[in-house]
Amino acid sequence: MTPCMVSTGFFVLGRCGRASVTGCAGCGRPVCDRHVSGDRLCPECATARGYGSPYDPMWSYGYRRETYYTTSSSYQDPGLYGDFDAYDRGAFDPGDQGDFGEPGDFDDGDDRDFGDS
Amino acid sequence: MFWRKTRRAIDGFHPLHQKLIWEHVLSAALPRSEWMALLASLSRHNELVRRRKWALPPRTESVVVPLIRVLCEDVGRGTVGLTADLRGHAGKEGPRQQLPVRRPVRSAEQWWVRDRWLSARSELRDGSVFTLDVVDVVRKRRIVKVNPRGKRKTKQKTKGVQRILTSRALAKGQASAQPGTPPPPWIRVKVRRGPKTVIRAGAKVPLPVEREQVRAILTVAAEPFRWTQRRRSA
Ligand SMILES: [Zn+2]
Ligand SMILES: [Zn+2]
Repeated sequence: MTPCMVSTGFFVLGRCGRASVTGCAGCGRPVCDRHVSGDRLCPECATARGYGSPYDPMWSYGYRRETYYTTSSSYQDPGLYGDFDAYDRGAFDPGDQGDFGEPGDFDDGDDRDFGDS
Repeated sequence: MFWRKTRRAIDGFHPLHQKLIWEHVLSAALPRSEWMALLASLSRHNELVRRRKWALPPRTESVVVPLIRVLCEDVGRGTVGLTADLRGHAGKEGPRQQLPVRRPVRSAEQWWVRDRWLSARSELRDGSVFTLDVVDVVRKRRIVKVNPRGKRKTKQKTKGVQRILTSRALAKGQASAQPGTPPPPWIRVKVRRGPKTVIRAGAKVPLPVEREQVRAILTVAAEPFRWTQRRRSA
């Protein structure tokens, strides 16, 4: 199984890790059925050129990237954005921390353990 | 009866959504799935409710909704607790004090409004606990002057600041490291080391306009997370 490489979370980043069903048409990363959009894009690619209102399920991905970008500049800490971006692209792995899966997985009625996927 | 259809639509909304319409307050600690049910209800508001009197209070869609989305991204098995008092500053005014005056000023009164309108507590999926408090502190002055032609003029002045306080209590034994660069000078940080390290970041800022409010909150909130951000070279 090739795990989905979409990064979940906002401040506490993790990797989705569910079984992928396709590769993103934009960046090629493996994406699961929950994270693939109609145009066969991952959430990052789907929101790259703008994102809708906070009611839009994809909103948080676009807003997350923008937040890391603006915070990085107000903190004058280029690594804040750089490392977020690198992590998101799969350039380095959490290593010390397990993957968290999709937030709310715990509430879907299944009783998988924390971090299990 | 007027607005019967609208009333029926409101009856079908999420109970917390209804409370926001009638009382302009929201207070709950819920798992992510329940918050998403509330947001789904709120998303239908503007389409179904046209009556101004029953509009969502200010800061609902500009602040509370995006903040719920952000907090729910990081929540684990636990809950996101959020209390929002969106009734505004009226009715939260402290006692009025008379200030000493000199002619042509006839009287000057000053009073303060302290509005702790937003607080949140979230149990994150890495075992840490995040808290947020936002307090508007507004000074109001009412000055009565008499101009040379003997006409009384009343002026009211308002000066507001906002305190944004965040904290993050790390899980027992969770590693943290001081970031390589300090936060911007307007953000103060305090760290208490122990079995559970607690990182606090707070700021006092000029009252942000509504559409910049979430950005201001998240800029302060980012600091406690920088202490555990995974760095490429680290
Ligand atoms: Zn992509
Ligand atoms: Zn996925």
